[in-house]
Amino acid sequence: MNRRNFIKSSIAAGLMLSVPGPLRGILEAADPKPPDLAVVRGTSPERITRAAIDALGGISRFVSRGDVVVIKPNIGWDRRPEFAATTNPEIVAALVRASLEAGAKKVKVFDNPVFDARRCYKQSGIADAASRAGAEVSFMDTRRFKDVKLGGRALKSWPLYRDVLEADKVINAPVAKHHGLAGLTMALKNWMGIMGGRRGSIHHSLDNSLVDVAAAIKPALTVLDAVRILTANGPQGGDLQDVRKVDMVVAGIDQVAVDSFGATLFGMKGGDLGYIRAAHQAGLGRMDISRLRIKRIRLG
Amino acid sequence: MFKLSHGRKLTQGAFLLLFLFLLFQTESKGGDELGYPVRLFLDSDPFIFISALISARGWEWTFLKGFLPALPVIAITLLMGRVFCGWACPLGTVNDLAGIGAKTKRAAVPKSLRKLKYLLLIFLLTLSLASVQLAGVFDPLSFLIRSLSLWLLPGIDNGTRALFNALPDSGSASESGLAETVFAFLKAHVLSFHPPSFGQGLLFGSLFLIVIGLNRVEKRFWCRYLCPLGALLGVFSVLSPLRKTAGEDCSSCGGCVRFCRAGASGGRHETWFGTECVRCMECRDNCPKKTVRFGFKAGWLPSYSSLPSGPDLGRRHIAASFLAALAGAPLIRLARPSRSEAAAVIRPPGSGDENRFLSRCIRCGECMKVCITNGLQPMLLEGGLEGIWTPKLVPRLGFCEYGCNLCGQVCPTYAIPRLEAGVKKRTRIGCAEIDQGRCLPYAESIPCIVCEEVCPTPRKSIRLDAVRVRDRLGRDTAIKRPRIDPERCIGCGACEKHCPVEGAAAITVKPLTVRRKA
Repeated sequence: MNRRNFIKSSIAAGLMLSVPGPLRGILEAADPKPPDLAVVRGTSPERITRAAIDALGGISRFVSRGDVVVIKPNIGWDRRPEFAATTNPEIVAALVRASLEAGAKKVKVFDNPVFDARRCYKQSGIADAASRAGAEVSFMDTRRFKDVKLGGRALKSWPLYRDVLEADKVINAPVAKHHGLAGLTMALKNWMGIMGGRRGSIHHSLDNSLVDVAAAIKPALTVLDAVRILTANGPQGGDLQDVRKVDMVVAGIDQVAVDSFGATLFGMKGGDLGYIRAAHQAGLGRMDISRLRIKRIRLG
Repeated sequence: MFKLSHGRKLTQGAFLLLFLFLLFQTESKGGDELGYPVRLFLDSDPFIFISALISARGWEWTFLKGFLPALPVIAITLLMGRVFCGWACPLGTVNDLAGIGAKTKRAAVPKSLRKLKYLLLIFLLTLSLASVQLAGVFDPLSFLIRSLSLWLLPGIDNGTRALFNALPDSGSASESGLAETVFAFLKAHVLSFHPPSFGQGLLFGSLFLIVIGLNRVEKRFWCRYLCPLGALLGVFSVLSPLRKTAGEDCSSCGGCVRFCRAGASGGRHETWFGTECVRCMECRDNCPKKTVRFGFKAGWLPSYSSLPSGPDLGRRHIAASFLAALAGAPLIRLARPSRSEAAAVIRPPGSGDENRFLSRCIRCGECMKVCITNGLQPMLLEGGLEGIWTPKLVPRLGFCEYGCNLCGQVCPTYAIPRLEAGVKKRTRIGCAEIDQGRCLPYAESIPCIVCEEVCPTPRKSIRLDAVRVRDRLGRDTAIKRPRIDPERCIGCGACEKHCPVEGAAAITVKPLTVRRKA
């Protein structure tokens, strides 16, 4: 997308907002349906994130004026961005700025890292980038987990983070990487970061547990960071030889579809991964990407 | 006449605040460095410097360089006597505060007890000669840092959290609530990131309260009778030309004695022990005749023995403490357990050989205070008397954070060397072992890969083997099992910390000394 298109769609979005509610619905219905997935490649993480959002219909489709928005990146490890163990900070910042431009009242960014949160927040570059973009970056507070009835196949209930449950809109911003047990970790597995309690024990039945937790969250948007992907020794990495530069983001509303597309970057299919199959079967989303409408964009 | 004691009180307050500020900064904020010279007070401590120099034979420039701030303290003491004790020492100031309003009972303690600190100094320095480093057990700065870091501050921290968490609706109340706002401020600026927890709180607390409480027996009891740093500075001050004098109109009213917080003034104006005086200026400021002065004069200070009421340090006592240390050193060594399981501990990264480490560690507790995971804990006697209050890593409580080298940055004596980040990440402190009787995939064919996932080495030190086994009911099943590569494992303990097995972990780090060998 070039600048002119961007301006056009911005103006269109602005006009949309100025139209009274009932009329807007009619106008939107008249619009050509946005694609299921936007796959954008380019060298600037910020610009490809913007382009992906715009291809899906613009940020105002996902964030409304006055919303409290939670953006959940992967800040799980004490690694610098180039190791692809954590979400690219520029993508997180782009999502923060877009949400604020859409009129969000507040944008919160947090994660529950496995290693020391101070180091993970700092070394990943996410805390600095997100707060500069205007987000409220906080460390997760152990008192703010709330037992949620999941009634799932593996988990009956689990403490989840209140701020995510109470947010008006949630944006999932995972990074695509290798994982020893799950195979890959992307959007669905990113929700482990809002789990309290002894979350390590869900590995005993990981696939179903991930689906049970993901079913409790309805993200408005999922943006998968594939600017750099970690192809081995994940999810923590630490060796640049295991990192591949793909310069891509994959965005969509359906996080099963996003993960399924993400798997192809590693030479796999969504169906190769147990938790994607389970999520598909549970009706959380669609893994058969051949039947999805995918908009591919290539920026310079 | 301008009251110099007012200036002293301000200076004391400033140094105490600086001390506390640096202590509060001895905590990670996520960066690779702390950003403040948090070791400043220990680096300025001539007793730590000289004792560690002797015990560690630390004649290398990196070691000497760290203690450059001790030189001005020595220089000032040579020139002006124990002003450090009176004007700067944070424990001295704490003692002053604790002594406010205390009634000094005349002759509560025999004055001869003053020599105890000199004998302790001789004893500890002689032990240093034998590379037994116990100076920090008695050093006032080390004592204060240890007491505050491992007992008082954790107590206040946990108490504050308990208080706020006990409020109704804590955490779920509206963020704008006053209590939550105050708590958020405290968490951001005052409290530790994680509530700290250390063993031996009762012991550290008791010792600290005893030292504080002794001020009610006599003001600055610690400084007068026990402090080995005060004794060392007293020795440096024997030539100090800054002397107390009284004019001809002195009526020997005894005010000097009453106001002296160091027991340096005798009954008559000519009776003044320069090595005891902390130059607090109270006698000068409170003299009813305004005749007490401090001025520069040359010559030897009057020694104890030359004074009628002075305690005689005595050749016999000196010899006794020297010999006691010479005899004590091997006895303390003998008390160290042999290379058995009980004796083996995981030391902070880079500590190297146990003898080297013990000859340098001054047990100040800075490494434990700064440890990002709270995994460094004080030992008691499990490593022998010589190992008292030295740090050991307890991985189940907190592992050695892969990217962190803060303990080396805060150690004043290089007992924990300042490892460059890349070197630290390759430094082995132990090696993990799997207990197949407890490990879920081995013992019960339950999938679990947490140890592999958290293993931070870029090439995993824990690998997963896909195998087919029989499960609990004898059914053929596929499972991944962790396998340790002892050549890669650095012993950080991330696996032990995160092992989801309840109670003792199914994977534990063993010190290199007792590692399983073929």
